[in-house]
Amino acid sequence: MKRFFKIFKVAFRSINKNRTRSLLTMLGIIIGVGAVIMTISAGEGATLQVQNQISGLGTNLLMIQTKTEHKAGINVRMGRPIDKKDLDILQKNAVWMPKISPLVAIGAQAIGPNGYKSTTVYGVSFDYFFITSRAIELGEFFTEDDVKTAKKYCVIGATIREELFPGQDPIGRQIRIDKVPFTVVGLLTKEGSGGMGQDMDDIIVAPYTTIQNRLYGHQRGYNLIMASALSEDHIADAEIEAIELLRESHKINPDDEDDFDITTQIELQEITGNITGILTILLGAVASISLIVGGIGIMNIMLVSVTERTREIGTRLAIGARESDILSQFLIEAVVLSLVGGTIGVVFGFIGNQIIYKATGFFIPTAGYSILIGFGFSALVGVAFGYFPARKAAKLNPIDALRYE
Amino acid sequence: MPAKKVIETKNLSRVFKNGEIEVHALTDINMIIEQGEFVAIMGASGSGKSTLLHIIGCLDRATSGEYELDGVLVNSLNKNQLADVRNQKIGFIFQSYNLLSRTTALENVELPLIYDRTGQFTNAEELAKKALEQVGLANRIYHKTNELSGGQQQRVAIARALVNNPALILADEPTGNLDSKASIEIADLFVQLNNKGKTIVMITHEPEIAQFAKRMIYLRDGQIISDQLIENRSNKEFALKELEKPSTP
Ligand SMILES: Nc1ncnc2c1ncn2[C@@H]1O[C@H](COP(=O)(O)OP(=O)(O)OP(=O)(O)O)[C@@H](O)[C@H]1O
Ligand SMILES: [Mg+2]
Repeated sequence: MKRFFKIFKVAFRSINKNRTRSLLTMLGIIIGVGAVIMTISAGEGATLQVQNQISGLGTNLLMIQTKTEHKAGINVRMGRPIDKKDLDILQKNAVWMPKISPLVAIGAQAIGPNGYKSTTVYGVSFDYFFITSRAIELGEFFTEDDVKTAKKYCVIGATIREELFPGQDPIGRQIRIDKVPFTVVGLLTKEGSGGMGQDMDDIIVAPYTTIQNRLYGHQRGYNLIMASALSEDHIADAEIEAIELLRESHKINPDDEDDFDITTQIELQEITGNITGILTILLGAVASISLIVGGIGIMNIMLVSVTERTREIGTRLAIGARESDILSQFLIEAVVLSLVGGTIGVVFGFIGNQIIYKATGFFIPTAGYSILIGFGFSALVGVAFGYFPARKAAKLNPIDALRYE
Repeated sequence: MPAKKVIETKNLSRVFKNGEIEVHALTDINMIIEQGEFVAIMGASGSGKSTLLHIIGCLDRATSGEYELDGVLVNSLNKNQLADVRNQKIGFIFQSYNLLSRTTALENVELPLIYDRTGQFTNAEELAKKALEQVGLANRIYHKTNELSGGQQQRVAIARALVNNPALILADEPTGNLDSKASIEIADLFVQLNNKGKTIVMITHEPEIAQFAKRMIYLRDGQIISDQLIENRSNKEFALKELEKPSTP
């Protein structure tokens, strides 16, 4: 142990003696570890954001849609549309889904006194606000009665307000959605933009009855039905219940498949978790390549250094160093170089994350395990790529080494 | 009291094989060197001096024959044991000093103690300073090697060879890179060390340096052709005076 310490000191001295070269050697590892940390963290950041967004979609959410099939790049509707009959059956019989709202979405032009904006208009029932846990900032939601009587009321998002009523109180004002006049009854609390480029405040919400009657022709179907399960533990129960009720409503034979799809929040989280997980691994793998390149850099310079220091090695052997002493010295040099490089890389990666956060507002949590991976990898690289040059040094014949010019 | 044998070789031979060609660098070397001797080895270039010194110094192995160093039969040792013998029993001095560059004299002298496995040298720095004092470099302890003259560098190398208190000091043309005056100083230093009891074997090409030793072994074509005591040993004063004489016409 004491000799290990001595040899460690020897290795450290020779690193210190060639500071510029040592730093250049480390550069590859610094960049490699920095890149690993930044990419893994970016992946984690993306995961976090998507997860937040999904939980922001609603509380214990279930989404019921007609089955679609992806054909030649187009989603083709396969089953019967989800319609009023389905909604009624669910509302009447569901035990695990206390809140249910249909949703019809249309792209439309909203025109106000001071501007206009192309946006998405959601036709929903009152429960929608609960299901998606949206809050009101000014005014109020439209009521279930307003939905029943198909009032031309709407609630607008903050982005719409900025375009149509900049700096003004929009409550009670008139807007036109594709020429149909609506009264603004409420302003939604700002939600912020989702990471997928979706502006959660660039929306108008109105009673689905009004949208269907006035804007959506007389189509009966909905884009989907949203429901909120009683609690997180009952999402699965709610799903089973919805399947039973809808199969009944659609009169599907026991042997036939569902002609609708139910997506729950948990499934969404799992799917996106998988996708972002793969993304993280992929990014990390690409970054690891730079670490390997860094390792090869270490090996190159160590090999040059062994050749350059042949006489030194010969001298050490002559005064009684064992092969294992020389091997340890060079191995320690390589590992110290890569670990110090790794440490600097971790710091750079962390700083890089902060810079990205400051510049883009995209929060990147520097993942703890990415630091471990960075360190572990750099130590591994040091051993793996340092071993060959170290062995070469240790196997030198002392007489030849002493004679080396 | 018979003096202790430090070196004893019996029919020591060394053959280098390069493919088909065999070079008989040493043939049947028989010699005994006792404690306290100061031996100069001379001979033409290629006569096998370095080869002999390498074998004596456990850097190389004989092809045949026996070699006993300080009571240890070297033939039977493995690589690690050879390294340990070099570390404990031998101090090497080379023509080109072989010091670590940009490193202080002190650190250079401490070097052999790093590889000590006996645990007897706990005070490396103190020992290194003492060795540097012995070679007259007490005031250069913290100088880096590149700040020292050739003669001073060779003194550092000698201190390094002394620091582990070896049974044997081996020097391969230690004055080969030095001018006459510095050579004489180094030779004188060897004499002083020898007077203190160190056993020294030194290769040299220069007769006036060899003349400082007590005994001279002459090699030719890998064989000892003469081995005799030196009758009128040289010393520092004499050699320096000789230097000042104009060369005889
Ligand atoms: N590794 C080797 N492979 C082959 N031949 C060698 C090797 N080392 C030495 N020799 C040969 O052995 C012989 C003795 O060499 P050695 O180096 O001992 O001579 P030397 O007396 O030290 O000469 P010099 O005074 O020039 O240093 C030479 O003929 C040399 O060519
Ligand atoms: Mg020689």
